[in-house]
Amino acid sequence: MMSTGTSGKKSYQAVSLEGVDPETCMIVFKTHWAQVVKILEKHDPLKNIQAKYGTISPDEASTVQNYVEHMLFLLIEEQAKDAAMGPILEFVVTENIMEKLFLWSLRREFTDEMKIEQLKMYEMLVIQSHQQLLHHKPILKPLMMLLSSCSGTTTPAVEVELVVLLNQLCSILAKDPSILELFFHTSEDQGAANFLIFSLLIPFIHREGTVGQQARDALLFIMSLSSESCVVAQHIVENTYFCPVLATGLSGLYSSLPTKLEDKGEEWHCLLKDDCFLSPALVQFMNSFEFCNAVIQVAHSLIRNQLVNYIYNGFLVPVMAPALHKVTVEEVMATTAYLDLFLRSVSEPALLKIFLRFILLHCHENVHILDTLASRINTPFQLCVVSLALFKTLISLHCEDVMLQLVLRYLIPCNHIMFSQRWAVRERDWYSVSAAKLLALTPVCCSSGITLTFEKQQKDYILWKKKNLESDSTKEPSRKSIADSTCIVKYGETVDISYLQYLWDAQTLILHCMKDCEVWSAPYDGENPSPYTFIQTPAEEDGKNLDQPIFQLQCRTPSNHVSSQVTPLREKTQLELEWDDSYDTGISPGSDTGSPQHDVDFNTQPPAKPPKHIQEMKKNAIMLVKGSYIEESDFQDDVMVYRLCAEKDAQEADSLKGKPLIPEAKDVDNPDAISTNGPLKSPLPDLNLEEHNMKNLNLIQQAKDETQGSIDETTLQPNLEQTLSSSEGDHNTNMKLLSPDSEDFISECDNIIKELDSNPTGLIELKLLIPDSISPVEEEEDFENFSADTPSAESMPSPFGSKDAWPSNPARFQSIPFTGPFISVVLSKLENMLENSLHVNLLLIGIITHLASYPQPLLRSFLLNTNMVFQPSVRSLYQVLASIKNKIEQFASIEKDFPALLIQAQKYLLLRVDALDIPLESLNKDNGQQKSITGKVKNLSEASQALLQTYLGNKAKKSTVLPKVPLHISNAILAAALFPEFLKELAALAQEHSILSYRLLGDFEDYYPF
Amino acid sequence: MNPFWSMSASSTRKKPETEEKALAGELKNSPPRSAPKKQLPSIPKNVMPMTKPASPALSAQSTNGTHASYGPFYLEYSLLAEFTLVVKQKLPGVYVQPSYQSALMWFGVIFIRHGLYQDGVFKFTVYIPDNYPDGDCPRLIFDLPIFHPLVDPVSGELDVKRAFAKWRRNHNHIWQILMYARRVFYKIDTSSPLNPESAVLYEKDIQLFKSKVVDSVKLCSSHLFDPPKIEDPYAISFSPWNPAIHNEVREKMLTQKKKGDDQQCKNMQVSGLSWVKPGSVQPFSKDDKTLPT
Repeated sequence: MMSTGTSGKKSYQAVSLEGVDPETCMIVFKTHWAQVVKILEKHDPLKNIQAKYGTISPDEASTVQNYVEHMLFLLIEEQAKDAAMGPILEFVVTENIMEKLFLWSLRREFTDEMKIEQLKMYEMLVIQSHQQLLHHKPILKPLMMLLSSCSGTTTPAVEVELVVLLNQLCSILAKDPSILELFFHTSEDQGAANFLIFSLLIPFIHREGTVGQQARDALLFIMSLSSESCVVAQHIVENTYFCPVLATGLSGLYSSLPTKLEDKGEEWHCLLKDDCFLSPALVQFMNSFEFCNAVIQVAHSLIRNQLVNYIYNGFLVPVMAPALHKVTVEEVMATTAYLDLFLRSVSEPALLKIFLRFILLHCHENVHILDTLASRINTPFQLCVVSLALFKTLISLHCEDVMLQLVLRYLIPCNHIMFSQRWAVRERDWYSVSAAKLLALTPVCCSSGITLTFEKQQKDYILWKKKNLESDSTKEPSRKSIADSTCIVKYGETVDISYLQYLWDAQTLILHCMKDCEVWSAPYDGENPSPYTFIQTPAEEDGKNLDQPIFQLQCRTPSNHVSSQVTPLREKTQLELEWDDSYDTGISPGSDTGSPQHDVDFNTQPPAKPPKHIQEMKKNAIMLVKGSYIEESDFQDDVMVYRLCAEKDAQEADSLKGKPLIPEAKDVDNPDAISTNGPLKSPLPDLNLEEHNMKNLNLIQQAKDETQGSIDETTLQPNLEQTLSSSEGDHNTNMKLLSPDSEDFISECDNIIKELDSNPTGLIELKLLIPDSISPVEEEEDFENFSADTPSAESMPSPFGSKDAWPSNPARFQSIPFTGPFISVVLSKLENMLENSLHVNLLLIGIITHLASYPQPLLRSFLLNTNMVFQPSVRSLYQVLASIKNKIEQFASIEKDFPALLIQAQKYLLLRVDALDIPLESLNKDNGQQKSITGKVKNLSEASQALLQTYLGNKAKKSTVLPKVPLHISNAILAAALFPEFLKELAALAQEHSILSYRLLGDFEDYYPF
Repeated sequence: MNPFWSMSASSTRKKPETEEKALAGELKNSPPRSAPKKQLPSIPKNVMPMTKPASPALSAQSTNGTHASYGPFYLEYSLLAEFTLVVKQKLPGVYVQPSYQSALMWFGVIFIRHGLYQDGVFKFTVYIPDNYPDGDCPRLIFDLPIFHPLVDPVSGELDVKRAFAKWRRNHNHIWQILMYARRVFYKIDTSSPLNPESAVLYEKDIQLFKSKVVDSVKLCSSHLFDPPKIEDPYAISFSPWNPAIHNEVREKMLTQKKKGDDQQCKNMQVSGLSWVKPGSVQPFSKDDKTLPT
């Protein structure tokens, strides 16, 4: 029987037994069996005492083997009439032939080869037999014995065969669940391991290659079986290691992922599915991860819940959370990119839910993962880009919980709006006024000289997507606009044709989002949820909420190590810090002095402020967290950082000398500032915290500066020198206050530079006399820039880049208008558009347009209603855009070559768009493979990621961008080229909102393009 | 294309009307001009019949004068917004449809269900000034001069001005004109009439007035199947009831709503993510059982 199966199979298959008398077959079978029995009995120790000592001769073995081959063939070919067993099968069953044969092989040396042969034999029987053999215990039992004898096997060859057979059995099970019971019963005979075929598969869950794939497929058969059968589900949940193995396996596989991603150039921002194939470890992880997703999709809710809990407590919390807080930037980047990839790969809401829950609510060392992630947007490194990409993914999920945490909870109280304006939240822009205002922000320098009228208009129609301009653009580059083309709509009037495209895209985006938001719990229209809703900090709710990821595993699961993870989760206390809700909104000069309304507001609106002791606790917690966060924080390993630290120290020293001059200037121009900034809002302990923050901040700032080249420094030093000499007297008093607060230093320098560069007699905005380590300077500056309805002229862009490097300020109260950390960090990053690299800007634009596509009036009115009057301290998107416009115009006036450079930049951007066309097609093909709508949605975002990636990653062409132009200039030029397009996108969204916002739910089916 | 786009707008209105519509014949649908209305096709095409050089109001709106090119978009979207409002109002017995040629011209029909003008089916056209919303009040002209104190006996124009002396943006909307047009047939106003004869009759000899109204209603009904006054693919035209065509359509109209509901339910399950319990502002506050899967 050794070399049976394979060699024999073919020759048998050639022979057909059709027409052969069944009785003849039976007789043949019986005679064969008689021959075999003779040999078997000769060696049976029960029947023949000498058998013990006699060895089985090769002759005998091969004789048995030959007979058995024939017998199996006859068995397989037997066709039974009706439901009755065929005579051969009946004979096999009554004689218990299969078990005897199995015992026979056991009696001999049970080698791997023999196992393989037997496995193959059963495989053949199971697949090819015309009768349902598995219904019969005398066949099933020896099969089970064989399987369990293979359970401890280690030989890959045996494993291959074993998994193939198991896979077959599972597929038969799935087709005919009635056998299931038999499998259970048979297993019971075996004692402990019931439902053997399932248990046997578990070790292969995470295996790579075909074996793993087959095992996972087989398990999926059983999973879908479990959805119908509570017994199976219960058995799996209570008696097997399936879920823990699956979930903790993820952790194991995750740990073997590369901790640093290979450098793909600075334009890289996220992992695409295709990228997975570059790393075998990632392939393996994704296989298992997708398997989890599939299990959750098909399995019984018992299994689903258990698995989800294990993933949360066995993978996300113990593995992902620390990984997101690794020491080096590269590691953190890699983790962020992985997390983003995972989010994009999940299609099952239940699985997505725990990922989102993890991101939104889990606290690692008392900081919300979400906050940590958001804070990284303001880092200067590639980390910022990767983080932006992650947020883009999050926002495009259209998930209420995400949007609630990220943005809406800050808008619900309507603190950001003037009280008298609250009615306007739901207002609809009838006449495209907002769109007009947005488009009016197009810098003059960007709109002149490049508008093109399309001479040959195709009939009367607007030329949709007519991209026949390739030739044109090369021939007449000077007349080519960034848009595809323009055409004559009406006699004497030209229309930017790209705007039509934007409108169309806006409609698609909004409808898509509206549809997804149908399931949301509230409209977020300024009334529901009520502005007076008490919004608890999520962390305080945490313990209550977490009843979901709790273990229900009662039995003998090896869950100890995992379940211990539960405790930290539940232990979460008020310590949770709110460092996010407090930092954007300093008290700006105008808010106290200028607007009585504002004050009224304060009184009528009870601040949602936690009790004092909790605040105190929070403060302490923040200090703790901040301390540790910074010490081992992201930049430790960077050589650069060390250098920067040294530089920072030097500068700090300078700053102390540099300060005194400033207050005078300030007093002259901004007398209000002192009184308004005066109150010391934070108790002393915060200074400490500030210090930590500022340190962090400074690293970031300076690293950023570093990337900008050393120009800044050279300009900075002389300036400082100049200011040095003036008044030594103030020096001492200021020193104490200033030294911890190095951010002030930065902004001061900033201001000094601005001062000297652009406006020698102008005001300097500093608060040196005031022990104000609380409200960061930029707040005031911002206010100054934006408080007026019309954009005020802005001075030189800061060489230090953004100063809002996520400072946190626990002392501020929630009642102070604040639009949330995410919005403010994104807006402040956006405001530096001219300094940002192209890909950062593209991601920012993507995020903001995505936010602006949400139909919720609170969000829509905040982002797109240009008529809304906000609290003075709140920066609106419109104000930020106005500031960018000014910066661009200023830049254009300084840069002599601006028009030529702009056209060059526009051509470059156009080229990249063209380069996108091909990859897009290939992406569309993938759409077919998607099963569910959610999958489709997912794929859309994947597609857009890919699109962006290609858009960004076109390195070959990159080299041709604006050659011979310094980086900072080319960044600014590209931003100037992007900016008008961004405005069009926003205007298009505003216009589409004005028509779509009133659409009735039922109407979707008629229009929804998906 | 959805052959029902006009229907889908009207399907949200009160059901009883479908009867009327069926009775009166199907609103004729335009040639297969692809795409739901929003593809922006109609406007830029030849825009507006009363095309003039860009109106001062529009260029004023486009700030700095540098962006005149977006004027048509603002106008288009203002009108689309008006139209969505009309749809939302669900005025009983009133149907409008912007013309194919211009978004500034809307075709409409009013069904009068009771009162003096009962059974009246009056077709009309609304003309919107091209400097909307900063211009004059839109005009409403009936295809046939209906015998009514406020309808010009020659031109068929309804005296809209009396109700909207000055057209105020943000306050006045086109649906108000339509509502007004419907109301004049239920509540007769005789002061400063465009048709003095009918006003006098209404005051002095109501019987004669009534019989004249009946004649007028009959006249309109007898011209119901006339080809539309203005040739336009989207003009509203009536045809006699033809079971071969209309039965099926009617069936569709009556069942569409239900189907839509089902579909909506189905889609609710697959798309959209929320674990927020209604009334709560806490993420993941929803009971796990109600998790959308």
